[in-house]
Amino acid sequence: MRLMPPLFMIVQILPTASHRGLRLWVPVFLIWILLLPFLLVLLPVFFIVCAVIDIHPLKTLGVFFGVLGSLGGTHVEVDSPDAAVFIHVY
Amino acid sequence: MSENRRQILDMLARGKITAEEAERLLSAVEREPAAAAPMRNDKVKYLRVVVDAHDEHEGPTKVNVRVPIQLLRAGVKLASIIPPRARSEVNAALAKEGIDVDIGKLTPESLEEIVEHLRDLTVDVDAADAKVRVFCE
Repeated sequence: MRLMPPLFMIVQILPTASHRGLRLWVPVFLIWILLLPFLLVLLPVFFIVCAVIDIHPLKTLGVFFGVLGSLGGTHVEVDSPDAAVFIHVY
Repeated sequence: MSENRRQILDMLARGKITAEEAERLLSAVEREPAAAAPMRNDKVKYLRVVVDAHDEHEGPTKVNVRVPIQLLRAGVKLASIIPPRARSEVNAALAKEGIDVDIGKLTPESLEEIVEHLRDLTVDVDAADAKVRVFCE
C-alpha cells in the first residue's frame, strides 16, 4: 500500500455562460508541511483519545495514512450548464 | 490430460469428428489458456461511475468519477479500527436498513475476493432522463 499522501491536485472550473473559469494547480504537499507542526503537537492528545475509546493508536495512524495515500488517481468531473468542475489528485 | 482434450479425443474415437477437425479443436484448446491468462493478470485499478443525465429545465449534466480501488481497500481497513462498542452499533444500524453485514468480519482477504469479482461487474441504468454506468477498469 502506498503510504505517501497526494502531492498535487488540479482543480479546474471550466468557463460557462456565467463564470470566467479557473484552473488551480494545488501543491498539496505544502499543506502537509504546514500541518506537520500541529500534528506533532496534537500527537499526545491523539494517543490519549485512542486509549480512552479503546483503539490501537499506531494501527489507526497506519489506516489513516493508508486512506490518505490511496487518494492518488482520484478523478471527479462534473459538467452541467451551471458549472463544470474537474478535480484530479496526483 | 484436460477435460476438453479428453472430450475431443473421445469424439474422434467415436468417429463424430474427423482427424483434421480434432487437430483444429486441440490447437484451439491449447491457445485458450494463453489468451485468457493476460485478462486474469490485469489488476482492477479504478471504479468508474459515469452519469449522463438530461433535465428538461436545467439541461444536460455529465458526471465522471474515477475512484482508485486502493482507496476501497484502505476504506475496508478503517472498519478494523472501529472500537467494538461502536462496531456493534454500526452493525445494528445496518441490520435496521436490511443490510445483514458484520463489519468486524470484513477482512482484506474478503475484499480481494470482492475486487476480483468487480472486474466482471458492469451496472448499466438506462432511464429516460439519465444513463448511469458503473464499472471497473
